[in-house]
Amino acid sequence: MTNETDRGWLTRLEEQSRRKQEQFMDGIAAKLGRDRIRSAPEHPFRGAPDFWNEFNWPLEEKITQFTANFEAAGGHVVRLSHREEVTRFIRDKAMEMSAATILRQQEDALDRLGLEESLPDALVLSWNEAADTDWRAVAARADFGVVMADYAAAYTGSITVKSAPHKGRSVSLLPTVLMAIIPIDRMVTRLGEILVQFDQAGREQLPAGIHFISGPSRSADIENDLTIGVHGPGIVYALLVDSYET
Amino acid sequence: MFVTCLSDALFPRVAESMARLLARYGVQLEFPEIQTCCGQPAYNSGYWEEARISARTILDAFDDSDFVVSPSGSCTYMIHHYPDLFKDDPVYLDKAKALQSKCYEFTQFLVDVLGVTDVGAVYPHKVTYHPSCHGSRLLGVKDEPMKLLSHVKGLELVPLPFAEDCCGFGGTFAVKMADISGAMVTEKSDHVLETEASVLVGLDMACLMNIAGNLRHRGEKVQVKHLAELLYEGVSVHEHS
Amino acid sequence: MSTAETKAQTVKERAGYALNNEFLRNAVKFTTERLRLGKKLASEEHGNWDAWRERGRQIRLHTIAHLDYYLNEFAEQARANGAHVHFAETAEEAVAISLQIAEHKSAKSVVKSKSMVSEELHLNKALDSIGVEAVETDLGEYIIQLADETPSHIIIPAIHKNRYQIAELLSAEAGEALPPDTAIMAGFVRMKLREKFLEADIGMTGCNFAIAETGSMVLFENEGNARMVTTVPKTQITLMGMERIIPSWSDLEVMATLLPRSATGQKLTVYMSGISGPKRELDADGPDEMHIIIIDNGRSLQLGDPEFQELLNCIRCGACLNACPVYRHIGGHAYGGTYSGPIGAVLTPALNKNVAEWDDIANASSLCGACYEACPVKIPLHDMLVSLRRRKIEAGRGDKLEAMGMKGFSAVMGNAKRYRSVVSLGKWGQKLVVRGGEIRTRIGPLKGWNSYRVTPSLPKHSFRDRWPEMEQDIRRTSGTMDPVIADRLRERLRMQKSGKGENAHD
Repeated sequence: MTNETDRGWLTRLEEQSRRKQEQFMDGIAAKLGRDRIRSAPEHPFRGAPDFWNEFNWPLEEKITQFTANFEAAGGHVVRLSHREEVTRFIRDKAMEMSAATILRQQEDALDRLGLEESLPDALVLSWNEAADTDWRAVAARADFGVVMADYAAAYTGSITVKSAPHKGRSVSLLPTVLMAIIPIDRMVTRLGEILVQFDQAGREQLPAGIHFISGPSRSADIENDLTIGVHGPGIVYALLVDSYET
Repeated sequence: MFVTCLSDALFPRVAESMARLLARYGVQLEFPEIQTCCGQPAYNSGYWEEARISARTILDAFDDSDFVVSPSGSCTYMIHHYPDLFKDDPVYLDKAKALQSKCYEFTQFLVDVLGVTDVGAVYPHKVTYHPSCHGSRLLGVKDEPMKLLSHVKGLELVPLPFAEDCCGFGGTFAVKMADISGAMVTEKSDHVLETEASVLVGLDMACLMNIAGNLRHRGEKVQVKHLAELLYEGVSVHEHS
Repeated sequence: MSTAETKAQTVKERAGYALNNEFLRNAVKFTTERLRLGKKLASEEHGNWDAWRERGRQIRLHTIAHLDYYLNEFAEQARANGAHVHFAETAEEAVAISLQIAEHKSAKSVVKSKSMVSEELHLNKALDSIGVEAVETDLGEYIIQLADETPSHIIIPAIHKNRYQIAELLSAEAGEALPPDTAIMAGFVRMKLREKFLEADIGMTGCNFAIAETGSMVLFENEGNARMVTTVPKTQITLMGMERIIPSWSDLEVMATLLPRSATGQKLTVYMSGISGPKRELDADGPDEMHIIIIDNGRSLQLGDPEFQELLNCIRCGACLNACPVYRHIGGHAYGGTYSGPIGAVLTPALNKNVAEWDDIANASSLCGACYEACPVKIPLHDMLVSLRRRKIEAGRGDKLEAMGMKGFSAVMGNAKRYRSVVSLGKWGQKLVVRGGEIRTRIGPLKGWNSYRVTPSLPKHSFRDRWPEMEQDIRRTSGTMDPVIADRLRERLRMQKSGKGENAHD
């Protein structure tokens, strides 16, 4: 990573930066006509308005709303009851689309899908399962990316994925097709229900990347004409599963 | 009555209609002569000292009034800038705050204060309504004119497409940025013509003068009236029939 | 319009160019209407929009009022995450730091996701000067980069280009003729930029929001290119205006509710990413090294200024552009700066210490207030424009002719008798130009007005001329007051006197 000269340079930059930081903050306080504030001020309007925090849908409503929102954005939603159905669904789609390379996150839950066995003619890889590989390049060549959502929010039709050593951000970004598995007990109503957990967890528990995905990649930059699949996956499947772990 | 310089000099029938309509409800009307202009043209262009000179005539005029009514949303809204304008002048600052609390746009006074929504007018024409920016957005006058119009017998109200879009007047803007303003008023007139209404009604003579000017320029026959004029005509006819 | 042309003229001249460009006007009109409608539907569907706006406003006001605490907290937490944090007071400093990083990394190419602040810095040109290729990856930004132009809308930068022009630009890049078909053109860009993403040394981003408590930066986008530039290259540089802070992730919910709906009418952008530092040691993607450059460039000038501090609340959604009737007719380039529309009209002079050359943008507004009504954090842009105009005059830079006119105005309006005589004089004077009750002359001050309108003539008798007779007549015919109405008036008078008479909307 950073070599010696880099380290020296970065250290020097940091010293400069810290001095500048003090200047910046002193300057701000001076302009605001008061002394520096060094402890957290009271924040009476933190987060959403109170009436919003009471808002919650029952499970079936969450699923209906999530589906409507995700499909309106151009995504596909499929409701499945068990893990075996998920395996079958992904296998069938892979065959239908002649997917040659499938990249999945390296987690037990996805190990149990048995995709490797179900798709003997395809190359099924697990993120970061081997060292000395440029996994980003692998993801760029993959046809399918398979992830398990950490959360989902019905109100906005969003899937949340968190990065980790065995869960690459690239898996939900680079392949052409995204398969996102969502155990329905991970679905909440509001974004705030997910976001507050990051506040509660604190900085040290946060991964480098937290990504909310609400459909296929899109743009309307050319004469307002909507086009799908610009940089991120153009085909996105949200697989809602009633009971994944049985 | 705060008649506004525009109505006073160019469209006296508007203030007169307002006066006669209010008089029907027994409202005791006064016209303090020392009033000239609310000072908007100077204020909006950044000439606040000049704006103050004009504004003082308004503040002095209404010192003793219980209520002040004006046939213009923008002039009424201008009063709300007075506390800012006079923040360094304690005497006039007090007057400004007092005036702010007792000044009303015409339909606000009729509907919200007097509680009148049906003046008994008859006006069998196809009419479309333009909500002036300052009156509707900034002063909050949205329902009052609609309530009044809905009770006028025989009146067919056609919604104006993109009604909330500015007509392009903006005071000195119409002169300084004439081409942009021209484009805006042309678009507004286009929308008026789309409705095929025979009358365009509104609450602010500045806007109406602007739109009427463009319509005349294009040889169009649509009549343009202030709501006070329309209502007063509607009750006068009714009375004579 | 090229960058050079943009600088050379006044707002009026640029606006004139825009008004005569049929395609541009139609494109801007179509796009702003689509976005405006989207916002209207989305905010109505969501409901309680004003309560949310007020919340957003309060969160931003609170953060800016305590910016020294929150910005400092952000810097500390970001460093704790492993990011390198830098502070740049001026555009030059920010550019110097960016170039330094590029040089140290021996970078040959930089892939950039959308960043208005990088436009402010003219960073691409600077990188180019040291032989570093800077590629814009947002589709609209990529297109205007190929055209060597500046963005004309905060959210849809290439709104002024039609598909034929775009096909021409992309064909030149592709080395073969591409048809003006959206899907095919987008497909080419996807393929081309993917190569760039994979080979780039540095990924550069802007920052929608920076969360103070955890040192995280948040990006909103629809294409996926911001995710690309923060996932693939080994080094990341994030450029951040110093005011882009919010305290917590909970506060992010409010911004995430207001921003997408206000910008395009979406419930949420396709991607919303929260990045907390460079990759963790065992992660197999994400940047090894992350730099955050916090930029002032005139923002701190607004602090402590009661008329302009609220400007820092801006979340760069572009709703004001879509609401502004002036913008709709003249498009973004007419504003002549990085930011256009109502926010640009205020921000550009406010950020620049030397206000003189930007003075005239503040005049390109009829003060209709649509921007204020559209703003998700309730910035009173219409009031700020008047403040800019006033400051220009106080600084002695007003137009001399106009100043004379205003002096005349106050001389007349300062005294009712004088006003009355002037109106009388006018009635005589206008005889020269009145025909059939109308004035159509296009001389002098009437030229601009009468190019589009007919002016009414002064009536024979003004209201105040008629009042004495009118008053008598009214007194004679006036009705008696209904007791219900009398009660209402008494009640209203009581309310007014006890200080409850406020009846303005803001």
